[in-house]
Amino acid sequence: MGSSIIKSSCGTGGAYEELPEGLEKELMPKHVAVIMDGNRRWAKSRGLPVQLGHIAGRRAMKQLTRNCKKFGVQVLTVFAFSTENWIRPKEEVNFLMNLFEEVIRSDMEELIQNDVRVSVVGNVGGLRPSLQSLISSSSERSKDNKGMDMVTALNYSGRHDITEATKQIARKVKDGVLGSVEDIDETLIEKHLQTNVIEESSYRNPDLLIRTSGELRLSNFMLWQSAYTELIFVDKLFPDFNEGDLVEALTLFQKRQRRYGGHKY
Amino acid sequence: MFLRWLEATILDFGDEMHKVYMWIWSSGDLGLRLLWHILHLILSTWYFIIGLMGSVESFLISSGLFKRYRDLDISKVQYLAVAIDSDEALQTLKVLELLRWLEAIGLRKVCLYDTAGVLKKSKEALTLLLKNERMSSETASDPLVEEKCLSLEVISFSDGKQAVAKAADVLLKKHYLSSNTEKPKLTESDMTDALGAIGYREPDPDLMLIYGPARCHMGFPAWRIRYTEILHMGPLKSMKIGALIKAIHRYTMVHQNYGT
Repeated sequence: MGSSIIKSSCGTGGAYEELPEGLEKELMPKHVAVIMDGNRRWAKSRGLPVQLGHIAGRRAMKQLTRNCKKFGVQVLTVFAFSTENWIRPKEEVNFLMNLFEEVIRSDMEELIQNDVRVSVVGNVGGLRPSLQSLISSSSERSKDNKGMDMVTALNYSGRHDITEATKQIARKVKDGVLGSVEDIDETLIEKHLQTNVIEESSYRNPDLLIRTSGELRLSNFMLWQSAYTELIFVDKLFPDFNEGDLVEALTLFQKRQRRYGGHKY
Repeated sequence: MFLRWLEATILDFGDEMHKVYMWIWSSGDLGLRLLWHILHLILSTWYFIIGLMGSVESFLISSGLFKRYRDLDISKVQYLAVAIDSDEALQTLKVLELLRWLEAIGLRKVCLYDTAGVLKKSKEALTLLLKNERMSSETASDPLVEEKCLSLEVISFSDGKQAVAKAADVLLKKHYLSSNTEKPKLTESDMTDALGAIGYREPDPDLMLIYGPARCHMGFPAWRIRYTEILHMGPLKSMKIGALIKAIHRYTMVHQNYGT
């Protein structure tokens, strides 16, 4: 069968990347969302402190980002920290916040240099000021990048996303920015969801959502946006999720697309 | 994941085999045709065996021969959602059979969903048929028979995103446009209350079973599926009671950590 040759989207000008066997460029999901679950279980199963699980997860996330970019995915959204995760031990939460800062300083920086547009969705105002500042700076510096969109959901909740959209609409109506609103409809709410950081409107809803660690739920992630998203639940823990697993998920997605077409809803 | 890959590969293999068949047929070679028919027989026998094994497993499970499925702790499934592809939802008798199974397993609160509202049109018929069956069965004289009946909620796409939009509209007009509040204070609880005020008071499902070709929840009310366990069951026409019991059993063994 051989590999498909695609033009690299990494801005290196004219370089060609090969797609793994079985994957087709035309059927690549435009937006892939990943619930990166299983770092702690990975560490516990090895008798390691949970912090090492998160470090291993960071490595896996970096690899995931590189692979998605390589395969021509236009938007990658990762669920890094939920509003419900604050109830974890304080030590772990502090470690995670420090890790996120380190990720933005180094991993995100690398992405920005490679023409990736980075942004964060979630209740950013609820994060520590130093992290807020880093988020703001990296988003600003990458806003004109034209490569892949890398969206990190931090302190994110799907219900909060919907609620904030409603708040924004209310604010705009009160301020006269939005003219007299006859009725709020779902289109108006969609325009105010946090995933509107993604420039291309047709890419804002994920085509494919992958959750690792064998759990079969969305856990308050992209509830509105995932109405027609293909859901693939993978047993592997996130630190073990490698290129082969991503290819398998993409292949399953593409086979389904070939058989049933895009959603007919 | 492996089983899904295998399923997709087998389906794709079928497509490739059809192309090979067309080529062999057009070539006119009798030997090749005979070989193809032998291969076809082998594959058909294989598929038959797989199907038979599935049916036997389903029978064994539904007969209560497996202890773990016999001792199903159904109390863990307080509210079950069943999302069905709208085209498949037209198979009313299949839907009825599914509801019978759910009732027999011991479930009491079920939410049926399809995008286009096909099930809403069938709701009356389904409820009536279920009631008639109950009345004509031995349990009809049981004073507690009503308590043991299935409580059915039937919803469609309009009860999802559109409902949230209506609730948001209510909140906007009632609380913000008419008040002097500088900054709208709106919480998730307000949204839940507003949904309740416009008639959406049903609880969030613990488990959602999806029947249809697509592994997606087809626009099931987003607000209600924060922690819902989601299982894809395949096409409605191929549904088996054994698979249903297995799915519910799997859910009862799950431990949700809710962010911890």
